[in-house]
Amino acid sequence: MQQFDVKSIIQTSPVAHAQPRESAKWEVINGMDTAVEFASVAIEDARKKVLGVADVSCLSRYGVKGPNATQWLLERGIAIPTTPNSWTICEQKTLVLRLGSSEFLIEDQLGGSACTRLASNTTRVASVYKVPRADAAFIVSGSEALNLFSELCSLDLREKSLAAKDLIMTQVAGISATVIRQTLNGEPVYRVWCDGTYGPYMWEVLIEIATELGGGAVGLAQYQNS
Amino acid sequence: MIFRTPKQAGEWVNRTKKINFTFEGEAFSAFEGDTISSALWAAGQKVLGRSFKYHRARGVLSLANHDVNVLMTDGIDTNIRADVVEVKEGMVLTAVNTSGGVKKDKNSYIDSISPLLPVGFYYKAFHTPRRLFPFWENIIRKAAGLGVVNFDYPRILKRKTHSHCDVLVIGAGPTGLTAACTAAEAGLEVTIVDENRQLGGSLGYNRAGDSSVVSQLDILLAKAANMPNIKVMAGAYAAGYYPDHLIPVVSDSGINKVRAKAVIVASGAFEQPPVFRYNDLPGVMLGSAVQRLIYRYAVKPFNNGIVVTANDYGYRVALDLLQAGTKIVALVDMRQTGSAAYSAVLAKRGVKVYIGHCVYEAIASSDKSGVRGAVICAYDEKQNIALTDNKFTLECDGIAMSAGWAPAGALLYQAGTGMQFDYGVEQFVPSRLPNGMFAAGKVNGVFELEQRVRDGVRAANDAICHLGLQAPQNEAEKHVGISPSHPYPMVPHPKGKNFVDFDEDIQIKDFVNAAKEGFDNIELMKRFTTVGMGPSQGKHSNMNAIRILAKIRDLPVEKIGTTTSRPFFHPTPIGHLGGRGFHSHRLTSLHDWHQANGAVFTDIGAWKRAAYYPAAGQSKEDAIQTEALAVRKTAGIIDGSSFGKIEIHGPDAALFLERFFTGVYIDQKVGSCRYVMLLDESGVVVDDGIASRLADDLFYLSIGTSNAAAVYREMQRSQQIWQLNLGLVNVTGAYGAINIAGPAAREILSTLTDLDLSYESFPMSSVRESQVAGVETRMIRVAFVADNGYELHAPMGQIPHIWNALITAGKKHALRPFGSDTQRLLRLEMGHAMPGVDTDGLTNPFEIGAEWAIKMSKPYFIGQRSLTILAKRPLRKQLVPFVLAENYKGEMPMDCNLVVDGRDILGRVTSISYSKYLDRCIGFAYVTPSKKEAGSVFQIRVDSGALVAATVIKTPFIKTLKGA
Repeated sequence: MQQFDVKSIIQTSPVAHAQPRESAKWEVINGMDTAVEFASVAIEDARKKVLGVADVSCLSRYGVKGPNATQWLLERGIAIPTTPNSWTICEQKTLVLRLGSSEFLIEDQLGGSACTRLASNTTRVASVYKVPRADAAFIVSGSEALNLFSELCSLDLREKSLAAKDLIMTQVAGISATVIRQTLNGEPVYRVWCDGTYGPYMWEVLIEIATELGGGAVGLAQYQNS
Repeated sequence: MIFRTPKQAGEWVNRTKKINFTFEGEAFSAFEGDTISSALWAAGQKVLGRSFKYHRARGVLSLANHDVNVLMTDGIDTNIRADVVEVKEGMVLTAVNTSGGVKKDKNSYIDSISPLLPVGFYYKAFHTPRRLFPFWENIIRKAAGLGVVNFDYPRILKRKTHSHCDVLVIGAGPTGLTAACTAAEAGLEVTIVDENRQLGGSLGYNRAGDSSVVSQLDILLAKAANMPNIKVMAGAYAAGYYPDHLIPVVSDSGINKVRAKAVIVASGAFEQPPVFRYNDLPGVMLGSAVQRLIYRYAVKPFNNGIVVTANDYGYRVALDLLQAGTKIVALVDMRQTGSAAYSAVLAKRGVKVYIGHCVYEAIASSDKSGVRGAVICAYDEKQNIALTDNKFTLECDGIAMSAGWAPAGALLYQAGTGMQFDYGVEQFVPSRLPNGMFAAGKVNGVFELEQRVRDGVRAANDAICHLGLQAPQNEAEKHVGISPSHPYPMVPHPKGKNFVDFDEDIQIKDFVNAAKEGFDNIELMKRFTTVGMGPSQGKHSNMNAIRILAKIRDLPVEKIGTTTSRPFFHPTPIGHLGGRGFHSHRLTSLHDWHQANGAVFTDIGAWKRAAYYPAAGQSKEDAIQTEALAVRKTAGIIDGSSFGKIEIHGPDAALFLERFFTGVYIDQKVGSCRYVMLLDESGVVVDDGIASRLADDLFYLSIGTSNAAAVYREMQRSQQIWQLNLGLVNVTGAYGAINIAGPAAREILSTLTDLDLSYESFPMSSVRESQVAGVETRMIRVAFVADNGYELHAPMGQIPHIWNALITAGKKHALRPFGSDTQRLLRLEMGHAMPGVDTDGLTNPFEIGAEWAIKMSKPYFIGQRSLTILAKRPLRKQLVPFVLAENYKGEMPMDCNLVVDGRDILGRVTSISYSKYLDRCIGFAYVTPSKKEAGSVFQIRVDSGALVAATVIKTPFIKTLKGA
């Protein structure tokens, strides 16, 4: 039997199919081949201010649900948002999204390790069910972000309606997605998650509209120091 | 001749900028801000269009998009509403629906044969002789429609966006503007929408010769402009009402779907024409059109005008005409009462007023391009007849007409507003408004300016309270005095041509004839006469149609009712409705590999799946047969990542499956797999799949691609009802799947895993968790496409690694990929019927011979009760496997070809294919149960009508025919 080192398996961003293989700069981050640069820093900076879309699918994630999921996470040092459909940040800027009363999505930011730690617990615990995640994830930034979402989402995503720690699960461009508003490096951005198999479609839609509105693709490098 | 007035206060045209354009080949100039119609009218061009049916000359009627007398073509764009579309430099315009030009339209002869073409004639003609129908069809197709559609029209993106506000105000006249300001002053976020390019509504033009009202408008506009919480959407119309106050607002650039917490409808009213012979001639126009021409575009409508009116509004129009320099030949008031408020004013200005008179008919100029006079006579208002004994003729070059109003209440109707007929204003007004909807102004039956302003404040305050804030509660306004609308402004004429609906050339007699034919209900009459079915959607005609029908039936108007209002109330371009066009689709992590290896893709559910991989120059059929042969002879591999994949965790997992599916799962051993079949409550087969038990409290379910989302939704719904101790996890997108099948599959797989793959250790219908190519994988022994098959389920991102490892390991066995089209052939050879392919929305499990998959003795499963009933009934059809004759070379039957017995339809083919491996045509078909036994022969009628004999055999086909 052939031997394989599972750690050497390099995955590809679920969004990669829709991204330019040749013109973008690619790097393996968290074991996932990811576009880190689509254009010069100056161009991407400009896009970011108007309407930048970055693929952050490579960030590590861990999903869990079940009646005892809250307790299980608390026991492992994960801060829990107090209400369903809200989010919070715990150590190492790890995002904790409460998707319902008893379902959670944990996402490490670059350099975070909470998800790896949680995944190392392979023992099955009563009423705690692991939810495998293979999300496509995006950061949408810039002054035209709301204009973009106005075409893709029927909900009101303005600050007035989507409070700082609110999380909504809705349809974006016709598919199920999770959306929050966050401040990264002092800039307000929207974070969007959807099923990874819809990733290329979502990217195409976001970039098409972003380009029309004067923005475009932004590489992950723009957020590597966030 | 140029018909421009001196500068008007608040005019919309910019006299410093000239626009040049052509119309019907002739050069014209306009001012910036002119509409096409206003520019042409100002230049003395009066024939602007031709009517749809009789090709009668038409000019301005409403100048407000409430009629379609004037539709134009400009290059590739057609059906341009010239009354409201701004003229642009370089436009090359022609009128639609003409043959030879608008002035000398060759089809204008149709007007002279109009008695031969009454409404509904087309329902009675053209049927016989049948052989002539193609001839008539050709003529009808040419006559149908207005502008000619350009099939090379470029795709111009019209965005569909969403926005939100506290209060949406529809209509920016004095009522709407006041309401908007009041709501904004309370701190609410207000959006105000108006179809006109500039706000103000009738306050901008209904002046009665006194332009001091302009300052009132300016104050209102300035107030609204200074409020940052008022968003203005001008040049956009609120096109419909959808639940929870969702209003699509249509503008040139697209559709904005506004979600409001409260809606104030201040949409005003459409002016309605009095109906008299030749009321459609160019030069005969509504009073409000006269006012719009004068005050918006600084155009003098005519030099010597007659005003015919059935309300006080006509007097105001006369004063406006005088202000514009038009000589008023006469004012003809159909009412016996005249106007106490204005008669004396006009008399002072030297205008002759004829009380209790009507325009009996307008007189066309010699070339029928305009008006040269009008026949006036006394009018019996009670009998609604013209008293022609003392009729006389007055010369004029234009007639302004005012008879009343119809509320612009489409959105109110759509929202479910209860309406009642108010005889005080002779119109329908809201009697019961839905929660969060408010009406104000003319649409609410309030017409006097001061009252409308107060009504706007009242509606806004009501909306403020509705949203939980404090506001004064004002008394509802009620119209006092004479009605602004006449109850029956119709003048019968023995020669007809007294038009009610200008879109469709519908006259009074057409309604009478429709009623005689039995179409005397408003909905039936609408469809028979087509009144209100043209592009104007009844804006200028529905109210008069209702009145006429009420008169015919001798019923009060409220007993006639109104036709159903549906969104969109105004014709909206297809490009707007289409918008960007989102086509969501899912790709597996192997998509790039499939693409690089020449796959042809097909859409299955939301997924793009590789259907087959043709070699260069290879046909689809050959590619599929080649791939299928590889599976039969060596091994094939397919990307099954699109399969639905659901985990059921928890102590009640088995109990859940017992209730959800038809089989037994309580006693299913860990490591084993069982077939699952899902029914709906009526016992119809919905889907099937495999349940693999990974632990006592964990099942892994794999189901079909197309139905996966629906099945998961139904599982969630059931769990909500049953409240069992379990958790459902949809891992369809998180896990990928690969199926490797064929005689060499085990040997290939064995090089990548240390799991014992022997048939004893890993028998059919069992599941194991092990590593494949180093990746933790769920391995399921299945026999869907071949007896030797393994489904490998692993994290989606690691599937390409496993796939590549298998491809490499399988090289020496000639392992090759196969697609979903090949999979269909392979499963057919195996004799597996597929839900959705071999079943339809009515098929029960007995009809597909799936009794073996049902445990009726269970306490409960979805559809059980229906099956109990169905089991007692004789079967009406049965799915059977069949073959065609050996070496059959005739026309190949297709899916859905009928199974027949003489003239009787016994069933249909559901799947059929030629199998190269078996060298036979095999398939499934529904037949009568008497034909279900092996050896029975039935007939399939192919597309050409020929009959093809088929014989029922046993499955699997590969065993029966090949002994495999």
